[in-house]
Amino acid sequence: MRLDRKIHREGETSLSLFLYPREGFGPGTYALMSLVTAGVLLLCVCLGSVSIPLREVLAVFSAALRGAAPATSSASILLSVRLPRTLCVALTGASLSLCGASMQGLLKNPLADGSTLGVSYGASLGAVVSIAFGVTIPGLPFAGTVGMAMLFAFLSLLLILTLAYRLDSSLATGTIILIGVIFSMFVTSVLSLVITFASDKVRQITFWTMGSLSGSSYANAALLLGALLLFGGVLLSHARELNAFAIGEDNARSVGVDVRRVKLTVMIAVSALIGVCVSIGGSIAFVGLVAPHMVRLLIGPNHKRLLSASLFGGASFLMLCDLCARLLFSPRELPIGVVTSFLGAILFVIIFTRTGRARA
Amino acid sequence: MKKRSLFSLLLVLALLASLTACGAATQAPAAEPAGEGVTVTDMTGREITLDKPAERIVALTAADCEILCALGAFDTLVGRGEYCDWPSEVLSVPAVQSGAETSLEQIIALEPDVLLMGTMAQTAEQVAALEDAGIRVVVSDAQDLEGVYTAIELIGRLMGKDAQAEALTENMRATFADVQAQVAGDGSESVYFEVSPLEWGLWTAGKGTFMDEIAGMLGLRNAFDDIDGWAEISEEQVLERDPDYIVTISMYYGEGPTPTEEILSRAGWENLTAVKNQAILNLQNNELSRPGPRLAEGAQMMADFIAAERLENAA
Amino acid sequence: MKLLEVENLSVTMNRREIVRGLSFSLCSGDWLMLIGPNGAGKSTVVNAIAGAAPYAGRILFRDRDISGMKSAEMARHIGVLSQQHSVGYSFTVGEVVRLGRYAWNPGPFSRRSGEDERAVSEALRMTGLSDMTERNVLTLSGGELQRTFLAQLFAQEPEILVLDEPTNHLDLPYQREIFGLIRQWLRTPGRAVISVVHDLSLARRYATKGLLLCDGTAAAAGPGESVFVSRVLEQVYGMDVAAWLRELYGQWET
Repeated sequence: MRLDRKIHREGETSLSLFLYPREGFGPGTYALMSLVTAGVLLLCVCLGSVSIPLREVLAVFSAALRGAAPATSSASILLSVRLPRTLCVALTGASLSLCGASMQGLLKNPLADGSTLGVSYGASLGAVVSIAFGVTIPGLPFAGTVGMAMLFAFLSLLLILTLAYRLDSSLATGTIILIGVIFSMFVTSVLSLVITFASDKVRQITFWTMGSLSGSSYANAALLLGALLLFGGVLLSHARELNAFAIGEDNARSVGVDVRRVKLTVMIAVSALIGVCVSIGGSIAFVGLVAPHMVRLLIGPNHKRLLSASLFGGASFLMLCDLCARLLFSPRELPIGVVTSFLGAILFVIIFTRTGRARA
Repeated sequence: MKKRSLFSLLLVLALLASLTACGAATQAPAAEPAGEGVTVTDMTGREITLDKPAERIVALTAADCEILCALGAFDTLVGRGEYCDWPSEVLSVPAVQSGAETSLEQIIALEPDVLLMGTMAQTAEQVAALEDAGIRVVVSDAQDLEGVYTAIELIGRLMGKDAQAEALTENMRATFADVQAQVAGDGSESVYFEVSPLEWGLWTAGKGTFMDEIAGMLGLRNAFDDIDGWAEISEEQVLERDPDYIVTISMYYGEGPTPTEEILSRAGWENLTAVKNQAILNLQNNELSRPGPRLAEGAQMMADFIAAERLENAA
Repeated sequence: MKLLEVENLSVTMNRREIVRGLSFSLCSGDWLMLIGPNGAGKSTVVNAIAGAAPYAGRILFRDRDISGMKSAEMARHIGVLSQQHSVGYSFTVGEVVRLGRYAWNPGPFSRRSGEDERAVSEALRMTGLSDMTERNVLTLSGGELQRTFLAQLFAQEPEILVLDEPTNHLDLPYQREIFGLIRQWLRTPGRAVISVVHDLSLARRYATKGLLLCDGTAAAAGPGESVFVSRVLEQVYGMDVAAWLRELYGQWET
């Protein structure tokens, strides 16, 4: 289970290092994780419902790098369809997984996630409202939607947590999930209502509840990357504070964490990141739940590793889910949320019973 | 530009045609012999007997609504399903919920003699409840062109308008024969039907759809004839299959790029034969997706579109 | 000089005044026991000092108002052990204890210093956890878990410990062990402890000062011998507490 920690220990000779080992990953581990993620990315670009031989894939990419992409259907498929889509999928997976890991730490609740708390449905509602009622920021056509998605995600999170604190100040696992489920149902019904009255403008309901990254562009990927660098950076820089929250909010206050400030900062960063993801790919459930869980089983709960490993793990997980969505019933395509929910629910039950047994 | 104005002209003509059809109907009922019993077998095999041709009808499906109007029986229509929108004057008729949310209360309140419904919404309980309320239920279920002819004849008999029904089906058959001769494809050209645009996830019409049947009639190959029914497909499959023609049925709501412009602007699609030739037809009014008389118009529009494209390519 | 001074402290929750105009102070070497019946406001006083409950009045640390302090600075002076501890994730003992050093270098770019290492290993040694740093906290017994949080608190190196029922639900050997650890910690000059203890015999055994709370106000305060007095306790608890305790412990005489 704690392979990584054992490896670290073998190299340590002095007593002080044994007592105070490095908590984050070394550069070697980062290189390994990047390599694996890049490998998955390559796999997902090479495979698709249209089979393109590896030699041709390499030829197209080397030509594209020289700035002379050939005008073949393979080149179009690789450069205009698969690569931007896979990049968007990877960035969305990384972002949602990071958000999930952060919320699970902040709330000391392994079931917390954008989808279980209903935050992503809140973001969907924000996006739908902005499209249906034409909320725009002049000059930036997409910013109105993204901004409203972020705002609604934040308000949802605020509402859910306020309610949860009112009902049960210890924020027990059950209470918060129950409120999340009720909130999700409420928001989904409002969402359906708005879509019914503005069906000519808004994407259909399955996009907002199941998610889809088909038709993603490089511009989408750039927006996702920007959001991940900015808000993901904020989350990653709060690893120690999240450790304290994961042990307990009282403990965080006791060791000197500015509880209010950190909570607000993490909530804003999480809402913003979820808002961007939802406005581009709809709400994709379970990614933020499953990826951090698997990572936690492998390397333990310390956020100094958990957060960065969740980034890579979430990216790889969602890319593989997307590959399944594209390949399983080719030439047909499944909504990606169908795959994540299906795989996620199964993995989730396995993980949950296992950890339950380990604790007992 | 020229092409589009031709289509709008055609659309206006089609609209006028259906208007006059309905307009003519207003005088028709007086000529019908009254007091004559009618017996029909609907498309689920149920036998329905009426004392006299139906005079108050609620039609739940858009296709049945169109058939009624095409037979000149608009004035018998006392209620319509909420998605019935053609010809446009049916919008003045009270709408009821249809499909999965079919509302029996709303239907009964309209006091029709006959309810026309599709198989999608129909259940044994609903039929029994409506029959108890004194409403005769007739189910239409056209899966192909022959089914459409059957539905037209069925509705014609119900209304005591057998002659009009026969004329309508004859007319359709004649149009189909015309377009078949006009295009006379040899199966080498392919057409991709786009039912839902990229933004919403690409959906196409595969085998067993009216679009597929009409493509076959014209001698074109449906690019997705390996798929059954309507389905979501991968974008890269469209690029791989490189269709010669694209027919999209997306609606245009008057803002942003038109469906045709949107397809032309898609990244990676610029190398498609259909995009290079700008061979994209936008059928905005469900001409090819409803089992009704306008399938003939849709086929005619496709034939004209292909003829124009061929002329352009030859030049 | 006084380490901690509480002046006219009032805490209102749900429009009910739970603590009313309470004042007391702590000097170096003091162990102040907060005692009183259920609902007297003991935990509320602790929460106010910990910054977990809004209050009226003033709390001064070395003549500085703590409401003006940043969280980390406050944690370097006052360490709080709250009543409930259940860890949700499988952190190791070492990870939990090292978190005690957060206040000394807060923020994202922490560097481990020799000072941190010394404080952590000292805290682990004091609590007897040096061999258990890699143990998963979910597998610890109640006493081991409490020792882990005490070690975290020691590693934090505050000048004042604020403890809410430090040995609640613990077996007697742990109780003795933990009170012993705290008394040992208190031996260093410039330190003080304030704790809520329900068991009056235990409180009396370790207290240098007592504060008897009743309905949010001080019924008695001062050196241990002036608070743990039969007559005073009887007024607040409504029974002869001392007689009852004598009767209980008398069982062990034979």
